[in-house]
Amino acid sequence: MSETPVTDIDTSAKTPGRFGRLYQGLTTIDFVGRRKIWFTASLVVILIGIGSLGVRGFNLGIDFKGGSSWEVQAPHSSISAMTTAVEGAGLSNPTVEKLGSKTYEVTADLNSDSITVQTNITNAVVTVMAKEAGVPSNDVSTASVGPTWGGQVTNRALEALIIFFLAVVLYISIRFEPKMAAAAFIAMIHDLLVTVGVFSLFGFQITPDTVIAVLTILGYSLYDTVVVFDRVRDNSSGPNAILKSGAVTYGEMVNLSMNQTLARSINTSLVAILPVLAVLLVGADLLGATTLQNYGLALFVGLMSGAYSSIFIASPLLAWMKEREPRYKELADRVGRSEHAVLSPRAAALLGTDSTQRIAGVSRRPTSSVTPRARKQKRR
Amino acid sequence: MAAPAASRKSLIVSLILTIVIGFGSLATTLSLGWGPKLGLDLAGGLSVVYKPTTTASSADMNEVVTILSNRVNGLGVSGATVNLQGKNVVVSVPGVSDGRAVLRAVGQTAQLFFRPVLCQVAPASKSAKPIGTATMPSCGASYAMTEANLAVTPDSSSSAGYTNNTPGVDPSFANIATTKPALDVGKNYVILPTLGQSASIRYLLGPEQLTGQAIGKAFATQDTLGEWVVSYTLTGSGSPAWDTVAKNNFHQQVAIELDGVIQSAPLILPGSTTFTSFQGQGQISGSFTENSAKNLAIAMEFGALPVRLQALTTETVSPTLGHSALVAGLGAGLAGLALVLLYVILYYRALGLVILFGLAVTAALLWAIISALGHTAYAPSFNLAGVTGLIVSIGITVDSYIVYFERLKDEARAGRSVRSSVDRGFKSAWRTVLAADTVSLLAAVLLYLIAVGDVRGFAFFLGLSTLMDVFITWYFTRPLVILLGRRNSQSTSALSMAAGMNAGGANE
Repeated sequence: MSETPVTDIDTSAKTPGRFGRLYQGLTTIDFVGRRKIWFTASLVVILIGIGSLGVRGFNLGIDFKGGSSWEVQAPHSSISAMTTAVEGAGLSNPTVEKLGSKTYEVTADLNSDSITVQTNITNAVVTVMAKEAGVPSNDVSTASVGPTWGGQVTNRALEALIIFFLAVVLYISIRFEPKMAAAAFIAMIHDLLVTVGVFSLFGFQITPDTVIAVLTILGYSLYDTVVVFDRVRDNSSGPNAILKSGAVTYGEMVNLSMNQTLARSINTSLVAILPVLAVLLVGADLLGATTLQNYGLALFVGLMSGAYSSIFIASPLLAWMKEREPRYKELADRVGRSEHAVLSPRAAALLGTDSTQRIAGVSRRPTSSVTPRARKQKRR
Repeated sequence: MAAPAASRKSLIVSLILTIVIGFGSLATTLSLGWGPKLGLDLAGGLSVVYKPTTTASSADMNEVVTILSNRVNGLGVSGATVNLQGKNVVVSVPGVSDGRAVLRAVGQTAQLFFRPVLCQVAPASKSAKPIGTATMPSCGASYAMTEANLAVTPDSSSSAGYTNNTPGVDPSFANIATTKPALDVGKNYVILPTLGQSASIRYLLGPEQLTGQAIGKAFATQDTLGEWVVSYTLTGSGSPAWDTVAKNNFHQQVAIELDGVIQSAPLILPGSTTFTSFQGQGQISGSFTENSAKNLAIAMEFGALPVRLQALTTETVSPTLGHSALVAGLGAGLAGLALVLLYVILYYRALGLVILFGLAVTAALLWAIISALGHTAYAPSFNLAGVTGLIVSIGITVDSYIVYFERLKDEARAGRSVRSSVDRGFKSAWRTVLAADTVSLLAAVLLYLIAVGDVRGFAFFLGLSTLMDVFITWYFTRPLVILLGRRNSQSTSALSMAAGMNAGGANE
């Protein structure tokens, strides 16, 4: 069954569809060779985000800037009716929003008033909102946040973030190696910047829930990167490491690892994003649970970015850093290809089990037959 | 991790044991009627974070926690928690429908009143209404706790040192509700319950005759017989004022009221035949426990809290909104789970069913643990952040299977049989799963330790399900897949393992 030469698999007459290739381990995407494209794309997205941050800033929730909010389910009301009602109760400049299909949220800043005035207005607003919605006043939820609370939340979150970064860099440096830690760290910063930029750009509200979600995203992005790097380690220093054969360069080995874990990366990202999508659509939109919406949005943006960065940022970055090391430079000279060879997982699997002559066979082949670069799969 | 050497018997034992533990513990918690302790945002209720306005010692803050706990518990709501987070006091009362009423009681600056006890009144009937600003009726002549009706007689032969009569319960007040906090002001007549007793035991009290400002210090101590008593000293101006009150109520009861609850209603000088000055100090005896004596002492001395508090955030969630959030969270979780399962079964065929079964065991075990923890009240309550943590962990849990199954496909591509692939594949997948789960656990532990409030709940449930993932991968997935692999390698049906793993070429 392994009579077929390695190279024939890639040029096989039976060419399955894109999904079939992924399923059967035939993908030959050049992640490492085209790193400039990925890096530029990310840089553009991040710069747009930072630009938006400079111009528009964040849409901060009341937890960060202080203020009061009221929430009620009122299927038969409207934004204008609700606004008139709460203004009648003494609110000046209230923000009235409709969340989901029937929940109304009113926010206003009462922190400049005295405690007594605040309490009176709060209760008056509760009464009119309950009346407008036709429910008992106990069905109105309220929240009021002093002006200093947000600072505490932010400080705690930043503290957690910095310690988390340090711990993670240390862990990966020990468990894997410092350059992998650096690549994973940069990928994580990438996700942070992308998420923050998207939130600023689209004006999504920042709440403590968003902060939680961002922390999760960073953890998840890292988790994803670790799985890919584990495969890279396997291929570079494991018992059957393909790198030890001397037939491929470090970059080619990383690229192979990417193609090997591609099915996993895509499946895992799908599996992670599907429930979040459900949270966003079912939980937040249909049923109007705002907390879920805040989580869902941040998680959705972040998970997408995390899945992207572990494939398109962390690994090419690692390959780039490692190929500058003298021993891998030397290896690249020895392999002696002018172009970047891209192996499919299937081809590599056969290589791993077959004799040395087959490995030698690869390195002797003209590059064109090993690198089917013509495939235009990159468009997303 | 000597995965390949595992014997068939040990695999079967591990598999069966895991299934039995998972569903057994679920059945146990269900039969005990335990459920997760729902957080504020799911059950509805009230949550306030207070900050002291001036610098406060940790002793002060602990006292604040004690006093606030007493106030909250005095309201008769269950499941309330008051605790310190840094220098902040967090009061959380899940499950109450009228959060704002609780808020008024918790947040008010406490006033300690000394009021004469007029009579004990009947429990409020179902149709009882608050009396509003109308005048309270007087006690029936035979029920009034007058000096004559009480007939206190010093008697050195009785253990208490005196004897007295107990007038009956006046039935005519059954239609009057217990006084609400808003009307519980010094000048009003009030009907109030007693601390530590059923809310149906109520007393009619007269207007305030002295406030807590007369009290200098108060402390719990044991008398010569070892009984707990509360000793107090009076301030310079408080001393003559108290003497006046005591003289007016000689051989009658004076109630010490804090925040709408009668803390204690001692008889004045029951052991003496004539009134004598208290000389600026006194003692309240009764059937105190150590705790109740200490609480009363705190209430008397610190009727107002030792520090002023300022509410940083206040949140009331209506049970209706909480309920719809719960439904939304569960709905989203289930919908997400269904989508994920559909995808993995289509992609991995028989191996997808392994995921389905594995998730069922994980879910059973998780539910049992969350319920058990909720019952012991050690775990953070289960709130929306926790729900999200669990939903996110679906991805991490399923990923362990995906890592393994993709390894299996690699092995199959290398031309190995299903039988040998399952062992080799697990070995390399297990290392990846451990490395990745360590990162996830690291994040959870750090968040749990550093963050405040909701974030902790989220981190807790994320960490819990990550640990569960490691456990299930080793004790459930490994034996099940290896056993299937050894048995099933010849099958060619579309649902077979080979169909799920097949890279397309290895068996052609």
